[in-house]
Amino acid sequence: MNLTLISLEIGVALLGVLVLLAGLWTPPNRQHLLGFCTALGLTIVLALLVKQGVAVDPITDSSGGFVLDGLAVFFKALFLLAGILVTLLTMGFSNRLRTAGAEVYALNCFALCGMLFAASANSFVMLFVSIELITITFYVLTSLQSHRLRSLEAGVKYLILGAAASAIMVFGIALIYGSAHTLQFNFIANGLAAGHMKQLLLFQLGALLLLAGLAFKIAAVPFQVWAPDVYQGAPTPVTAFLAIGSKAAGFVLLLRVLYTAFQVQPDGPRLLEPAALLSLMAAATILFGSLCALRQRNLKRLLGYASIASAGYALLGIVALNERGAAAVLVYLAGYLFAIVAAFTVISILTPDDEDEDLSILAELHQRSPMMAVTLTLAVASLAGIPPLAGFIGKFLLLRAVIEPTATFPWLVSVALLGVVASLYYYFGIIREIFWGTGQWWTEKKPESARIKLADSQVVVLLICLLGMLVLGLYPQPLLELATDAVQVLKLAN
Amino acid sequence: MTSVGLEHYIVVSAVLFCLGLLGVVIRRNLIVMYMSLELMLNAATLALVAFSHFQPPTPNGSPFDGQIMVFFIITVAAAEVAVGLALIVALYRKRQTIDVADLTSMKL
Repeated sequence: MNLTLISLEIGVALLGVLVLLAGLWTPPNRQHLLGFCTALGLTIVLALLVKQGVAVDPITDSSGGFVLDGLAVFFKALFLLAGILVTLLTMGFSNRLRTAGAEVYALNCFALCGMLFAASANSFVMLFVSIELITITFYVLTSLQSHRLRSLEAGVKYLILGAAASAIMVFGIALIYGSAHTLQFNFIANGLAAGHMKQLLLFQLGALLLLAGLAFKIAAVPFQVWAPDVYQGAPTPVTAFLAIGSKAAGFVLLLRVLYTAFQVQPDGPRLLEPAALLSLMAAATILFGSLCALRQRNLKRLLGYASIASAGYALLGIVALNERGAAAVLVYLAGYLFAIVAAFTVISILTPDDEDEDLSILAELHQRSPMMAVTLTLAVASLAGIPPLAGFIGKFLLLRAVIEPTATFPWLVSVALLGVVASLYYYFGIIREIFWGTGQWWTEKKPESARIKLADSQVVVLLICLLGMLVLGLYPQPLLELATDAVQVLKLAN
Repeated sequence: MTSVGLEHYIVVSAVLFCLGLLGVVIRRNLIVMYMSLELMLNAATLALVAFSHFQPPTPNGSPFDGQIMVFFIITVAAAEVAVGLALIVALYRKRQTIDVADLTSMKL
C-alpha cells in the first residue's frame, strides 16, 4: 500500500495522538493552547491538501479500496474546514466540558480522520470502518459533559440507535457480498454491468439494508428519531460537528455507493428503484423536519429538526440522478457548513452554563453583541435560503436539478416548496427573537442586557462563517465549477 | 444424510439477525438491548464467512474478502462495546437505572 496516498489521514490521526499526549504535560490553565495547536495543525493539513490539488486521473491503492479523486478532495477540504472551525469553537467552550481538555481536541481529530477516509472509501470494508470510526468517536463526544444528565442520555440514545443502524448496515453488506462475491465498488459495478448477478433478490435486500444504515447517518426519515435528542443533549460544538461533518460523510458515501457501486442511472439496469424510494424518503424527511420544528422553543432542538429537513433537501439532488443534482448536493453542503457552524457558535456563547437553550436567551442580542446578532441573522437567513446568501444557491440548484431537464417527480417539488415556506416561519421566529424579543415574558424577568465579550477564537469563527456565507452567496461561480469538476468521477448523465 | 450447505448457514444467520432485531425492539433493559445488537453483528459475521467459504471462483477480488471483513467487524464491535458499556455505567451511576423507559429528560 502506498502510504503517501493516505498521508493526510495519517497526519490528522497523529495530530490527535500528539494532542492527547501533550495534554498530560499541559497545566490546566494552558489547555486552550492545545486547541490552538490542533487548529494550526489542521490548517497545515488543509494547506497541504490544497497544494496537492486534484490529480488528473483518480489514484487508487493496489486493492482499489481507497480512491483519491476530485470528489474525495472536495469533501476532504470540506471536512478539514469544518474540523478547524469546530476546534476553534471548542476552545471557547472547553471550560464547560469539565474534562482535562485535551480529549475533546483529540477526539475531534479522530472523528475527522474517519471522515477523511469516508471521502475516499471505494470498498465496503473502507466504508464500514470509516463510518464506525466517526460514529464511535461521536458516542464519546456526545456524552462528554458527563455531569449533565442530558448529555449522557443523548449519548446512550445515539449509542443504541447508532449500533443498531450499523448492525443492519453490516448485514446488508454481507448480503451484497453473497450475491456480488466482492466488496470493492468497481468490481460490483462490473458484475452488475456484465449481468453476473445471480441472486438478485439477495442483492436488492442487501442494498436496502445498506441504504438504511446510510440514511441513519444523514438522519433521513424513517431513521431520524435520534437526531433531535442527540442534537439537544450533546455539547454545542459537538452538535455543530455532528450536523455538518457526520451528515456530509453520509452524503459522500451515499453518492459513491449509488453511483460508483450500484451504477444507478436513469436508463441503467432496473435492479433497484432508488429514485422512487429516495424521493419518498426526501419528501417525508422535508415534511417531518419542517413541521416538527414549527413548535420548538429549544434552539438546539429546533436546529436539530431543521437539519433533518436540510438532509431532505440535499436528498433531492440524489433523487435527480444527474450530474447537476450531485453537484448541487456539494454546493448545498458547503453553504450549510458556514451557516450551521455560525448558528451553533452563537448558541454556545449565549447559553448559560447547564441551562436550557430556550429561544428567550436571544432577547436583546442586537444590543448585547451586534456582531453575533448580525452573524446569527445571516446564518438563519442562509439556512432558510434567502438570496444572496450561500444557502440560497444550494437550495436553488437542488430544486432546479429535480425540475430540469425532466420533472420526474413534480409532486416532490411542491413538497419541497411547502417545506421552504414552513422553514421561513421558524427561522424568522429566531430573527424576531433577536431584535424584538422580550426575554422570558412568563417570569416577568428583564432580559439580560450586559454586553458580551467574545474570545478571539470565537471572533475568528464568526468572521470566517460570515465571509463564507457572503462570498459563496454573491460569487458562487468558483464553487460551482469545483463541485461540477468533483462529480465528474461519478460518470453521471448531464 | 445431506451435508451442511450455504443455505443452512444463511438461514441460521437470518434467524440470528431477526432475533437480535427483535431483542432491540422489544426489550427495555439497556444491557440486554446491547447484547441483542452484538447478536445482529454476529449474524452478519456468520453470513460473511459462509458466503466467503462457498464462493465460486470469480475473476474479481480474492476469495477471502469476506473473511477479512469479519476481522474488521470483530475489532469494531470490541471498540463499540468498550465505549458503550462505559456509557451505560456512567448513566447508571447518575440515575440508578438502566431501563430505557426512564430516559425522558428531553421531551418534544
